[in-house]
Amino acid sequence: MPKLSRREFLKTISMTTGTIVFNQVISACAAKPQNTNSVQKITEPAGPLEPGKPLTTEQPDQTKFPDLVVTRQGTPEDLTRRAVEALGGMKRFVPQGAKVIVKPNICVAYHTYEYAATTNPWVVGALVKMCYEAGASKVQVMDYPFGGTPQEAYSRSGIAEQVALAGGEMVTMSRLKFISTDINAGQDLREARIYKDALNTDVLINVPIAKHHSLARLTLGMKNLMGLIRDRSAIHQNLGQRLADLTSALRPDLTVIDAVRMLMANGPTGGDLGDVKDMKTVIASADIVAADSYAATLFGLQPDDLGYIRAATTMGLGVSDLKNLRIEEIVIDA
Amino acid sequence: MPSSGSLRDTRKSGTTTPRWITARKIIQYGSLFIFLYLFIFSAHRVVPPDLVNLPMRLDPLLAVTHIISSRVFLPGAAISLAVITLTLIFGRAWCGWVCPLGTILDIFSFKSGRENPVLDATNDQNWRKIKYSLLIAIIISALFANLSLLIFDPLTILYRTLTTSLWPALDQAVIILETGLLNIPVLEEPIAIFDSWIRPILLPIEPSFTPAALLYFLLFASIIILNILASRFWCRYLCPLGGFLGLISKASLFRRQVSQDCKTCALCERVCPTGTIDPERNYTSDPSECTLCLECLDACPRSSIAFIPAMRLADWREYDPNRRQALATLGLTVAGLAVLSVDPRTKNPGPNFIRPPGTRQEDFLSQCIRCAECVRSCPTHALHPALLEGGLIALWSPILIPRLGYCDYSCNQCGQVCPSQAISPLSLDEKRKQIIGKAYIDQDRCIAWADHKDCIVCEEMCPLPQKAITLKPGLWSDPGGESFVVQLPQVDRQSCIGCGICENKCPLVGEAAIRIFRTS
Repeated sequence: MPKLSRREFLKTISMTTGTIVFNQVISACAAKPQNTNSVQKITEPAGPLEPGKPLTTEQPDQTKFPDLVVTRQGTPEDLTRRAVEALGGMKRFVPQGAKVIVKPNICVAYHTYEYAATTNPWVVGALVKMCYEAGASKVQVMDYPFGGTPQEAYSRSGIAEQVALAGGEMVTMSRLKFISTDINAGQDLREARIYKDALNTDVLINVPIAKHHSLARLTLGMKNLMGLIRDRSAIHQNLGQRLADLTSALRPDLTVIDAVRMLMANGPTGGDLGDVKDMKTVIASADIVAADSYAATLFGLQPDDLGYIRAATTMGLGVSDLKNLRIEEIVIDA
Repeated sequence: MPSSGSLRDTRKSGTTTPRWITARKIIQYGSLFIFLYLFIFSAHRVVPPDLVNLPMRLDPLLAVTHIISSRVFLPGAAISLAVITLTLIFGRAWCGWVCPLGTILDIFSFKSGRENPVLDATNDQNWRKIKYSLLIAIIISALFANLSLLIFDPLTILYRTLTTSLWPALDQAVIILETGLLNIPVLEEPIAIFDSWIRPILLPIEPSFTPAALLYFLLFASIIILNILASRFWCRYLCPLGGFLGLISKASLFRRQVSQDCKTCALCERVCPTGTIDPERNYTSDPSECTLCLECLDACPRSSIAFIPAMRLADWREYDPNRRQALATLGLTVAGLAVLSVDPRTKNPGPNFIRPPGTRQEDFLSQCIRCAECVRSCPTHALHPALLEGGLIALWSPILIPRLGYCDYSCNQCGQVCPSQAISPLSLDEKRKQIIGKAYIDQDRCIAWADHKDCIVCEEMCPLPQKAITLKPGLWSDPGGESFVVQLPQVDRQSCIGCGICENKCPLVGEAAIRIFRTS
């Protein structure tokens, strides 16, 4: 062990302190008083927003494609592929070289996918593959479980394995990246600590599983976005409006709802196969409100029964009136 | 290191560090590295549990006292016979070559060569007795089915300190630096990359918080600071494991022998880290105190020192335990245990004294070796060493503090890593049925009950397949007379297992409105 001389010791200490003080000075001089994030997506003015704006530079003819696709009766991978293809293919959403974040629901580490508390791993895997096929440069998959560690949740859900097979990257979300962000369009939630990468990514694909939730009634696309913010218990009051506000900040480019197996009760954690309904259905839409609205009907509910759909429709985030949507239904095998 | 520069200069010219000392240092640092490696990975379920707790199972003091106290022999602890065998052959080589705390004390060696006024011959002799008193007290309290004094075992000290203060403090230091540097725009990306390197493998994703972390830190720091008084102060005077191995070393095979051509230059005496080389005994040493570091072999200019087999018991020194000391310690230990047992908390600890899943409150203290392996391996930082909640007698045995961390429904790690099976090694399915405590709602503070606002976080979090927290609609009317419905949480105490995730996630500031209470 080499001896540290007094001089060296003091030098190290003063360097360290100097760096810290310097940081403070730098941050004090910064233009913004807080470490707030400003993102293109959310600086749009409050008010009606164009539902599901595609990202590609060469705008494909919107009218060519249905607003929403429902696929039934097939393997999870086929259901996913056919749904996205009918929607115009993954190329419509993922430009060449784009960085993609896929956000499944991996809320707990407790059960395997059969229990329908977490998104079906093959649905997630299929999306990762399709992103690469469309020319994505990087596909990351992430969630921030509330029960158990991310590692345990990723592996027990089976998602880690399918993502690895598809060549995607399972990312452990870092505390450092939840950045205080203004939600300009927000009616009630005006500020939240949102995951920076999800705001800045080229493409955000939202892959919730359709399941029961006692307060929101159902957790679908918009509820799934809660995994991208830090202070979740605070959002529970006035949940419907706040979820819509959060959606206005994140605006996923594509929402694919996994209703392959649906959790009908005791959500969001699940654990009883008796509560699981085998639906073999996948819903895909660029409009998160439309996707959630259709999924609600699978549970025998009307879109307006869900507070967040009502709030999001009022804010103009999407279309909940199913009669006004061009819906394509595909039954894969008879 | 004990061989200071000035000594080396007076020695035969052109010598490099002899290979025996190099070998010892490689083993020492290797052992420290393995210890730290197992420490780091015990939180990640990467290393199998039987390997994670290997250091504790190697420790013969833990093994022997656990057998005495619990009257249960665990096959896994048989590996400590390897250390006893090692000691029977080489004496206290464990201390000099393997013990990670010993290696850390070598690293923090303050030896200056100056005479130490506090440490005269009398004090040196008297203080060496302390470790034997401690050892006798540990064994006697083990006979009375209590292992509290194992808090003084060197491996448990190191592991507990790392778990409760050093590692969380390192984590906090990294967090402070990261958040500070994050304000510099160019550093944003490098810091994000750095953070994804170190988490979750080296440091946790969410920081852990330990009550009284400073206490553990100061105790450990004082062991290091005592090194200023004498090198390896802890090992010479205090370490009960050292005392235990020292007694076995009286019969060890290889001994340090000094030959006739010794010119009494005293160089060996000056390099000896445990100060056992005695000029008044022709520079011979006590095998009970010698850690076989071989520094003297290197220091001797005439090669008069050899470590060769000897087929007799070593001399009993005046500081070695005698009948009088043993009887006095016996009396004090019994008296101490008796007085501590008077504390009502030992019979009826507070309602928050919640043990890890799979423990029986009544015989837990006779099995828990206070190693903190469970505390470290808990992925949600739910387990913590108890302070005085269960009386001094239960000091640093593990308790679950739900507000700091919940018992993860997908985890059974504490029982898997527990080297003494004080926490039963339950399968995940068995652990999910263990009743740790029961949840109770404070209706005067609950957001739904008291403020009539929807919250339901506790219900949402409840991990049971048929939730133990259910919601019932409650009808209220606002000042305008308009009535509205609020979902009110209620606990089904029959099915609640007390995992504590509801208490942990309750959005109230400070104490939660739903809390876990001990039921047995």
